[in-house]
Amino acid sequence: MEIIKSKKEYDVIVVGSGAGGGMATKILSDAGINVALVESGPYFDPANPDQQTQLKWPWESPRRGAGTNRAFGDFHMSYGDWSLDGEPYSSVEGTDFKWWRSRMLGGRTNHWGRISLRFGPRDFKSKDFDGLGENWPISYDDIKPYYDKLDKLVGVYGTKENMFNEPDGFFLPPPKPRLHELFYIKGARKSNVKVMPSRLSVLTKRINNERGICFYCGQCDRSCSVYGDFSSSSCLVIPSLKGGMVDLYVNSMVNEVITDKNGRATGVSFINKENGKDYKIKGKIVVLAASACATARILLNSKSNAHPNGLGNSSNLIGKYLHDSTGAGRGVFIPELINRKIYNEDGVGGMHVYSPWWLDNRKLDFPRGYHIEVGGGMTLPQYGIGWNPNDFNKFFGLRTGGYGDSLREDVKKYYGSTVYLSGRGEAIPLKENYCEIDPESKDKYGVPVLRFRYKWSDYEYKQAKHMHDTFEEIAYNMGGIPLGSKPTKEDNYGISVPGEIIHEVGTTRMGNDPKTSVVNKYERLHDVDNVYIVDAAPFVSQADKNPTWTIMALSWRTSEHIINELKRQNV
Amino acid sequence: MMKRRDSIKTMILGSIGASMTLKSCITSEDKIVLDQVWKYSYGRTQDELKWDYKVLTGKFFSETELLTIEKIANIILPPNNYGSIKDAGVVELFEIIAKDFSTPAHNEYGEKVLRRGLIVFNELSNALYNKDIIECSEKEIKSIFDDIAFNDNEDDHLQEAIRLFAVYRGMVLTGYFTSEIGIKDLGYKGNTPNVWDGVPEEILKDYSVSYDQEWISRCVDQSKRNDIAEWDEDGNLLT
Repeated sequence: MEIIKSKKEYDVIVVGSGAGGGMATKILSDAGINVALVESGPYFDPANPDQQTQLKWPWESPRRGAGTNRAFGDFHMSYGDWSLDGEPYSSVEGTDFKWWRSRMLGGRTNHWGRISLRFGPRDFKSKDFDGLGENWPISYDDIKPYYDKLDKLVGVYGTKENMFNEPDGFFLPPPKPRLHELFYIKGARKSNVKVMPSRLSVLTKRINNERGICFYCGQCDRSCSVYGDFSSSSCLVIPSLKGGMVDLYVNSMVNEVITDKNGRATGVSFINKENGKDYKIKGKIVVLAASACATARILLNSKSNAHPNGLGNSSNLIGKYLHDSTGAGRGVFIPELINRKIYNEDGVGGMHVYSPWWLDNRKLDFPRGYHIEVGGGMTLPQYGIGWNPNDFNKFFGLRTGGYGDSLREDVKKYYGSTVYLSGRGEAIPLKENYCEIDPESKDKYGVPVLRFRYKWSDYEYKQAKHMHDTFEEIAYNMGGIPLGSKPTKEDNYGISVPGEIIHEVGTTRMGNDPKTSVVNKYERLHDVDNVYIVDAAPFVSQADKNPTWTIMALSWRTSEHIINELKRQNV
Repeated sequence: MMKRRDSIKTMILGSIGASMTLKSCITSEDKIVLDQVWKYSYGRTQDELKWDYKVLTGKFFSETELLTIEKIANIILPPNNYGSIKDAGVVELFEIIAKDFSTPAHNEYGEKVLRRGLIVFNELSNALYNKDIIECSEKEIKSIFDDIAFNDNEDDHLQEAIRLFAVYRGMVLTGYFTSEIGIKDLGYKGNTPNVWDGVPEEILKDYSVSYDQEWISRCVDQSKRNDIAEWDEDGNLLT
């Protein structure tokens, strides 16, 4: 097999251009370090009219935006979802895991909900509070300066609330609540559930002259063409390319970290997806940011005499402690919101208000918390609208179904009358939940693929039960009727399938002890002094916060560490 | 060696500016068909374009089937001053969805559900009137729909027809309300640049709700949205 080698040696090779890789690329290249950024998907810029989906109407798609090609619909900005042609994965019998992969410049940051929450002091030391899981080797104080810098560089709206475990930052002002959000505020307060402005990385106010500000189309999941929301490609990678220190390799799928006979990394090998050929590039340092499971896969596939069971895997923990946020949700019909007067309430691409975790777990039968997200409103019609045009007739003792002109009136009558409540909670990381190399299966490039084994424990089921009890109480307190029936024990309390919330973390967890962790507190492999991991793989635990802000703050911190090491010629 | 370096270079920034049009990956014979059907431009990848091309150029329903769908669709949702089912592209959508939802992952929807619907509706019209739906009068079709359009009919023999009718109704309404005329009819006002500054005052009054002053005092002052953000060291916004 022909392997094409480049003579050039980079200071740093960054694998993956999402939140972690994009941040590392920016910080390193801004410091004058020569970077190769290797991305498995194509170049992507939401300002490119050939790629843009923002502001498209449903009829501009032949299937009216249905989810045949993209799981969340035609206009959703992720190239790839829980399944990719020719790149399978499997689960151990009796378990299930769904693995999301966005193959494009900027990765998942082009489609995420922009919910940008700092982990709080407790989130780094949860074991001290409940004896479960493991503490992080760092504390909130170690990461706070990076969260601060991140807020100012990238922009996040929110309000100062002075809550112990929901630290404040440098916030842009939030947008005013929508009508259904006022109903939620009313219902949540009546249920003694804290409610406050959400914290999203959407520019409600200008932060620099390079990025535009939000024009309230409600479509952050399509990636903003004026960069009014944060995505790694728009806000970190594309600006970094202008500095001349970054070579970007696209459609280049890294399959292995190359090591010398002493087991130190010398570069990476990758497959060019356009011509199918293998390439090797050299670097003094390798920074992996391919996403928690893809990074674990690369390491486990990087076997050598020095690292017989995978690179950096002397602890045998790579792939272990895989965990995702828990999720559950319930729709609520608000009779008061039928026959609405119509005005534009698109707002930002997501909620304007939310509920952070508001209770004390010591008084509950499950150890970790969750936050509540709120959806609804008179949103842009998509494939699916009107499908059950008058289902809510049943709440008024009227017939459902039928045909004729009355259906037109039914769709209008019920448009914008549903609110959706979603819980996102913290799971306990378990060694028994993992990904590993499947000895039986390879992808279309001939690279061994992952097999998952993931089961929720009673901690998570009890938490999901609590979510549903809360949703129902809030639903009634906002004058609504919860839709469908409340999931029972037999329905696993309606908890999401692991991986569905797309917050998977933990596969190379961070720690001080090389026997019980894979990377140190600077996200460097214990076993190899020139390989770092800056995606969510080093997370010791995934709080009830979305992981992106913490991925980026840690990546920034690690990048500064790398800069210092290079300066001191330690690497 | 020169050659190898070149091929590495093409990967670097390889796709910048690469125009992703379907036209670059098809033959000239295809192009004739394509020009007739291609009116969509909505940010596709190469692989998605190939799939779209397959969906848009193939033929699933016969002319008679399409006319039957149009006849049914017009009774499910009659035209009004915004336009008709045909104007909303609903019949075309049936044809596209039949081919688009055709993989095992989509349970062969076109064959098992959409075509099955026509077969079952024709069986009913033949039992009652000894002719296919396409031959029936509007009144005759309505008499069939009266049995299968409502969810409270518990007649065992009609359950499949009721389920299939619900799909047809769903397709017609979703097709209409995702079309240009349907969205005008609905009155949706967004999908356009604007400045959100809260729920209009008269709407708040209609629902007897109001903004909490403490809450909105901290919300964005839209007259200052263009002023670059600056903070003091405690995170208080200064601009």
